[in-house]
Amino acid sequence: MNTSLVGRELETRHHELRRMRMAMVDGNLTVNLRTVQRGLSARAYLDGYWGFASAPLTAGEAERGQVQRQALDNARAMARFGARPALALPEARHVGRHAYPSRVPLTPGECNERLAALQAHCKRHYPGLRSTRLVIGEEHHAKLLRTEAGGDSLASIQRAACVFTLVGEDADGAPIEVDEYVTGKGNLADLDWSLDVVAPMLDRAHEHLQAKRHAVAARGGLHTVVLAPALAGMLAHEAMGHPCEADAVIGGAVTATLVGQPVASELVSMVDFAHTCNGEEVMIPVYVDDEGTPARDVVMIHRGRLTGFMHSRETAARLGQAPTGNARAYNPNDEPLVRMRNTAILPGTSKLSQMIEGVDDGYLLLKTGNGQADSTTEFMFGVTLAYEIRGGKVGRAVRPTTVSGSAIKVLRSVDAVSDDMHWTCGGYCGKKQPMVVSMGGPALRARAHLGGE
Amino acid sequence: MAIDLQATAAHVLNRLRERGFDQAQVSLSLQLRHEVCVAHNEPSLLRSNQSYRLQLVGLLDSRRADAEGTEFDDDSLSAIVQGLWASVASAPQDAANAVSSAQSADIVRGPTDADVAGLAGAMRELLAWRERETPTMMLEEALAGHNHVRSTTLTSGGTSLVSELGWFDAAVFGLARDGAHSSSFNYTGGSCDSLAGTAFVQRFGIDEMMRALTRQVRTQPLAERFVGDVVLTPRAVGSLLGWLLGQLSDQALIDGSSVYRHAVGEVVASPLLGLRSRFDAPGVAPLSADAFVLQPVALLSQGRLKCLTPSLYGSRKTGLPHVPVSADGWELAAGTTPLADLIGGVARGALVDRLSMGRPAANGDFSGVIKNSFAIDGGQVGAALSETMIAGNVAQMLRDVRAVSAERIDAGAWLLPWLRVEGLHFS
Repeated sequence: MNTSLVGRELETRHHELRRMRMAMVDGNLTVNLRTVQRGLSARAYLDGYWGFASAPLTAGEAERGQVQRQALDNARAMARFGARPALALPEARHVGRHAYPSRVPLTPGECNERLAALQAHCKRHYPGLRSTRLVIGEEHHAKLLRTEAGGDSLASIQRAACVFTLVGEDADGAPIEVDEYVTGKGNLADLDWSLDVVAPMLDRAHEHLQAKRHAVAARGGLHTVVLAPALAGMLAHEAMGHPCEADAVIGGAVTATLVGQPVASELVSMVDFAHTCNGEEVMIPVYVDDEGTPARDVVMIHRGRLTGFMHSRETAARLGQAPTGNARAYNPNDEPLVRMRNTAILPGTSKLSQMIEGVDDGYLLLKTGNGQADSTTEFMFGVTLAYEIRGGKVGRAVRPTTVSGSAIKVLRSVDAVSDDMHWTCGGYCGKKQPMVVSMGGPALRARAHLGGE
Repeated sequence: MAIDLQATAAHVLNRLRERGFDQAQVSLSLQLRHEVCVAHNEPSLLRSNQSYRLQLVGLLDSRRADAEGTEFDDDSLSAIVQGLWASVASAPQDAANAVSSAQSADIVRGPTDADVAGLAGAMRELLAWRERETPTMMLEEALAGHNHVRSTTLTSGGTSLVSELGWFDAAVFGLARDGAHSSSFNYTGGSCDSLAGTAFVQRFGIDEMMRALTRQVRTQPLAERFVGDVVLTPRAVGSLLGWLLGQLSDQALIDGSSVYRHAVGEVVASPLLGLRSRFDAPGVAPLSADAFVLQPVALLSQGRLKCLTPSLYGSRKTGLPHVPVSADGWELAAGTTPLADLIGGVARGALVDRLSMGRPAANGDFSGVIKNSFAIDGGQVGAALSETMIAGNVAQMLRDVRAVSAERIDAGAWLLPWLRVEGLHFS
């Protein structure tokens, strides 16, 4: 590195992002895209201000120095806002190489063959469909990071996802949809999305689609709900995960004053896992973050009490706590922000079937589309597949609705947590930049608001 | 590193031709961005980005593949062209695939000077205004940025589209806090051609949003369920229009899920609604992603649907007329009702600034939490609301618009009024 830069708070990142996405709609390949994005970035911290610069990647040391100098110049230029004391940022000096040993990627031809086989299967087995959408994608981040404190690391994260959507018509001829996901670590060759595995999922989706043909509207208001694991993961991420990001805490999230306080039922514990859960590597393993901090788990809720927040170096310094390795940048042009990694509610001891049997009048919420958090912990997420529960039995399908509430109130009302666990890593978290994350959870039984008539 | 975009794009197009593609499209752009950021009520970061984007489309025997990269030295080009060839060879044939032909444009618009001092001045003004006018407001993130994008698109059909755009943009995100109480977060932003002339906080509804947040720290839920009216702010109106634009475009038209597939010429919305393009807005290039020069287009006129907006592919796939559009650059016509009267006409309902909801169902059904919202009773704005949901159908909401405000917010990519809509289910 350029010696004139030694001794500064400076990190330099070489970042490569590869993505592939294919979409087949009724046999038509409407998306067939591969992207490679490479770049070099540097971030400097000088006299209390940050400077960041990024540029196209070239191999030369001169260009590296130029990007570093631009970052320093940018930090220096912020002095126009006036002098201020610099924070004593915790050092980031992780050294290591972390890459998933993925299989040889599928060729475009192999992907097309599988998509065509799935499409043919749908056409053969579900003749009444209005449309079938099959989307597959994979994404690979490789980040080489060097910090002036001595950090030198490679962080490689790969994930793949398949989404299968069946579109039918309800009894009035209006379009209805049900989708199924397969997601996981690595590339599409590491996922099992063979017809043998997917066909039973599609059968299940088709059964749900038939039920939705005669779906009824949810009754708006407060209800007892059983949240399937996919929704519990979303609850973990959206409802309590975001308000436990330390930048949100500094920004005024209500969690700021609740550490040590009960924010959930004693049945609820929630963790943002760095790289390992129960001895197994998680879907989005982060061993070192994009500031060079070694990543560690963050227990946000332990048996119902709020216990900790997720940190970057800056938020840790501001709150007088230790960094946790949650500073992550999505693409070569992005600076690291406090982001979740693998956020989950931990499993309990109940059985899902017994949780349903214990509901006299309520709803079983099975699938979600998207969600949104709030600094107040008030959350919402769209529910794309749900059923009524009457007298402990699953009844009629429910039209798409929204579940919402104060996360604290909802989590305090949890009276059963299932003993199974479901992880997914197909979506993006949005917060100035997108981010690949995973979320997990068991089924929960709680009281929450449903939107409806 | 100075690159001749036109010459490089022409070189890449030749490489695709030489490789054997029947048809091809090459886009090459260079973006320079500068951004001054605020975090937690303090100036925080100056960021500079320089990035290239190379986009390729290759067609072979009616098969199609796309590729994107950031490098175009010989080795990188060889790799991306070979990858495109491998992708296209195995794709299924589809006679709807094609690239544009004989399109021509050379567009130069907007400020190309980043004016970092001006960006910093905008943030200084925002911070001072916050301290003076809304001291309980926490600006969790705010930024003022400048973009300079030069772009060239060439196709094997003789299309040549050259553009150089410059524009400023801004975003403000935060909440208000008082003791242990805090409001929901809210955000706004937009783009403009100049930072001069209008105070920063008076752009994009920033001042109005920040003042409203300070009144949303203490909230209360609705006591009961009822059917009432909503007054949607321009930010919330954007949620409705996003669904409408999706219904008129490729995916919904091709898979048959669009509720408007056979509705061209019919009245599908309130006669008070007129929706048309503003492809000359700051930061909006009048060029489509599939390399067509955009002409002004009206989608709704007095509530009547004037056209659908399939791309070239969507048009060839469905047989519908091709109407090239951009995702950004739309305006809803102003009405004649002053905002105060719009609100005054609500017997019972809410003033809604943000709809937090899942993607509406294919038929338009939705339910969502109304965020950053106030109750309205007897035409008077009351308490800020919490844990309140509304449910309805987006298509029906467009038909149930009963008044459109004379005032609008210009965010660059969109220019929208407030709307009063009746018949929503509150819970």
